Amino acid sequence: MKWWQLRKKNADLEREMRSDLELEEEEQRESGLPPEEAHYAARRAFGNPTLIREQTHEAWGWAPFERLAQDLHYALRQLRRSPGFTLTAVLILALGTGAVTAVFSLIDAALLRMLPVENPQQLVQFKTVSPAFPEDDAFSYPSFQALKKQTQVLAGALAFRRLHKIDFEVDGNSALAEGQLVSADYYSVLGVKAVRGRTIVPADVAVAGQNPVAVISYDLWRTRFALDPGIIGKKILLNNAPFTIVGVTEPEFYGLQPGEKIDVTIPLTTIALVNPGFAAAGGPADALKAPFRNWLYVIGRLQPGVTAEQATASLQPIFVQCMRNAAASLAGTPVDSPAIRQAILQLRLRLDPASQGLASLRRQFSKPLWIVMAVVGLLLLITCANVANLLLARANAREREMAVRLAIGAGKARLIRQSMAESILLGISGGALGVGLAFLGSHSLLALMARGRSPVSLSVHPDLIVFAFALVVSLATALVFGAIPAWRAADVDPSHGLVQKTQSSAGASGRHRLGKFLVIVQVAVSLVLLVAAGLLARTLTNLNSFYPGFNRDNVLLFSIDPGTIGYQHVTPLYEQLLSRIAAIPGVRMASLSVHEPLSTNVSDTVVKIQGPVPREGDDLTPVNVEMAGPSYFATLQTPLLRGREFSADDRAGTKEVAIVNETLARHFFGDTDPVGRLVSIPGYRGDSNWVEIVGEVRDMKVHDLREPTPLMLYEPMLQNPESNATFEVRTSIDPASAATAVVGVVKAQDGRLPVYAVKSLADQLNDSLVEERLVASLSGIFGVLALLLTSVGLYGLMAYTVNRRTGEIGIRMALGAQRGTIARMVLRETLLLVACGLAIGVPVALFSARFIATQLFGLKPGDPLTFVIACAGMLAVTVAASYLPARRAASVDPMRALRSE
Amino acid sequence: MTKPAPPRSALLQGTLDMLILRTLRYGPAHGHQIGKHIQRTTNEFLQMQHGSLYPALHRLERRGWVVSKWETAPDRNREFKYYRLTEKGRKQLVVEESQWKQMAEAVARVMWPPAEES
Repeated sequence: MKWWQLRKKNADLEREMRSDLELEEEEQRESGLPPEEAHYAARRAFGNPTLIREQTHEAWGWAPFERLAQDLHYALRQLRRSPGFTLTAVLILALGTGAVTAVFSLIDAALLRMLPVENPQQLVQFKTVSPAFPEDDAFSYPSFQALKKQTQVLAGALAFRRLHKIDFEVDGNSALAEGQLVSADYYSVLGVKAVRGRTIVPADVAVAGQNPVAVISYDLWRTRFALDPGIIGKKILLNNAPFTIVGVTEPEFYGLQPGEKIDVTIPLTTIALVNPGFAAAGGPADALKAPFRNWLYVIGRLQPGVTAEQATASLQPIFVQCMRNAAASLAGTPVDSPAIRQAILQLRLRLDPASQGLASLRRQFSKPLWIVMAVVGLLLLITCANVANLLLARANAREREMAVRLAIGAGKARLIRQSMAESILLGISGGALGVGLAFLGSHSLLALMARGRSPVSLSVHPDLIVFAFALVVSLATALVFGAIPAWRAADVDPSHGLVQKTQSSAGASGRHRLGKFLVIVQVAVSLVLLVAAGLLARTLTNLNSFYPGFNRDNVLLFSIDPGTIGYQHVTPLYEQLLSRIAAIPGVRMASLSVHEPLSTNVSDTVVKIQGPVPREGDDLTPVNVEMAGPSYFATLQTPLLRGREFSADDRAGTKEVAIVNETLARHFFGDTDPVGRLVSIPGYRGDSNWVEIVGEVRDMKVHDLREPTPLMLYEPMLQNPESNATFEVRTSIDPASAATAVVGVVKAQDGRLPVYAVKSLADQLNDSLVEERLVASLSGIFGVLALLLTSVGLYGLMAYTVNRRTGEIGIRMALGAQRGTIARMVLRETLLLVACGLAIGVPVALFSARFIATQLFGLKPGDPLTFVIACAGMLAVTVAASYLPARRAASVDPMRALRSE
Repeated sequence: MTKPAPPRSALLQGTLDMLILRTLRYGPAHGHQIGKHIQRTTNEFLQMQHGSLYPALHRLERRGWVVSKWETAPDRNREFKYYRLTEKGRKQLVVEESQWKQMAEAVARVMWPPAEES
């Protein structure tokens, strides 16, 4: 029999029993009994119907489930009878589970979820390590080809490179897209299929510059082509080079980096078509041929049963040979030096697991997300304690009921089970509501994350793992908050419970102690949260008020990339744009550079200095090179310490010059004047000319505010024009209001030129603080929530205490206690509880603050001001929460209190 | 939690199934008839409350030894739930009967030993 037949089966049994009874009754009547007596005689002959029903149900074999259904049914009825309590508990639980689930769904999407490819756990990322260079993950095309031949350990390998902001033109409409260049086996190694047409196959990658084919993402097909079925064979222009769309990939596949999405993928042998400058085809630095040009990420798939260590050992000799080739290939290039060759020969290969894709997003968000997870975990603990307290108070109110049920023979186990059934119902409904909240919340969280400098696109959707997580959390919380009250519920002495008034019974005082304990726990945990929130908030304020070496206010930024639409000579365009922008009313001055301030891009190289330097031999300390336009530092208001700044005369054909920052000057020249010294930058563009340093500027932060300022070398943008440029426009008005006019000028100059990343420098700085803001605002919100929940819990406990002690208070008043004394008594009890909580909370907070030490800026984990503020806030709010109960206590009418005793 | 079974059906535990199966050998019957039959045949010795038949009947049905159907009684204009012995039930009856016989013989040998051999 199946459980869904139970109802029918029950009706059947009822009918059967009724028919039997009626028959018996008739027979009794026929034997001469009067109707009344016949009725009772029949019942006697039949037996106890309830008992028969129960025993028959047992015979069906579903008794345990029936009992569970009964318990749940009973629990539901109990909860319905006190809607206020139920609603409060469910809401509190929904908050807790919702917060935890929301954060978990983000962690799942960003950090845990595997790539939607075949057997992702077999994937490894290739890395290089050496004593001289930081860990790196770029390889040259020749090295990649040599390594992937090792098929004993590698089932396959792929190489790829991102193409940021590529100009994607279709039917005359151009827009920026995110692209990537891939090797022959990219799709076959990953096992990613095309939903339309085909993916890129080895034949596409065989010959350099041939087969300009493109595979687009499902997302792009939907947004840009409205799922046009005639997409295959469509001609497009990528950076003005003609390509043909040959396929659309599966909708789940966004590329190998979680959080980023790839719109268009082309064979890496077409690099010269989309970025001729980078490809340097035919030259000594040909991207497809030069063994020293490291520009590709490499992912390998291990043969089944082969470990990463075995594969590394087997690949290492080949890699060493590759590095020998790379060092040898430097001969005759301006980059060559014994030190660099030595460093290259020291490089070794390492394989890292890549089942979740490349690590950049994980690196960026893993720490903040785990901190937030810890925060919401603590919040969940507080909600548990809070609900447990509610249940305790309720158990007290139901003590008589429990006593009666025990007295008439209910088993303790049954009472505990029923109490747990209530908790589980509460937990599950709280969890269900929480999941709803979580999916609202996780989208706002995602929006917070996505506000950063590099777009984050994660698919946060309700998947099975998240649901399972929410279910486990709800059940676990139900067990935690329900266990103690359930135990106590059954821990009633029936005789006591029945005879004495509930208010003064022994069980109640034990329960009261437990309630106090739970409040102390809440105070302690809330304090930890408040301290964490305070430290993170103060970090954010410190970062916001930190002087980054430039004036962030009233600067508008925008970027263009004229090379993508075919500009060969960009200098005239830049000069015209600068003069036209400077003429806009409200604009004070304008300049340009390759990267925007606080860019995530790094372009480091090594430099050589002519003449005496404090260090012997070749120095491989990385130096960042930035191209800057005329009056760049004046525009950013970065103080010039020595010499002069770039002017409009620093242009092609004039003497090559450079400006250095303080850190570089100190590193290479110590206390001596760098102005007039000569430097060469062989690693950058293969340029071996000596360049004269003409100025030194104050350090400014380059990539983010927390980094130690790197060694910076600035060169004039108009002397070494680059195709992509960011304009910095200093305004005398709000930069946002100048944006329209500025973009209008660019459009008037050349309507085809895409303008992107239009924002103020202040916003750019804000965006660089996305992780800090994420943790600070979330822990702030959750900290305040924790404080509120705790004060509500404390209020509940104190209100209950006052209620319980009404009689005692009445006696005290009758004996002459003043109302003030009574109120003080309640307040004293509150303060004692809070003090206990703080006494536990402060050391715990001190201890746990160490875990977020690396996230802090400008203050120590044990920052006294934060602790004082957190404790004071805690005291103030909790004392306020006990104000009402205290007033209630003070207004007890002694006569009525004594009469009710 | 199992409720203690009433004493009289405790007496019948194990044998009740057999008695029901044996009664149904005469043909289909409803609960009331089965109860009455057992009571009458034992000369009211087994004064069972016939309600206690139902758990046993439902158990037998679950095991597939009997099947049930609501049918109109031949003598009255009224439906009863008739139980009918299945083939499986017939075999079971043979098994239980022989077990019971062995049991009774064993008990009898202890209680009334045959004349001692001298």
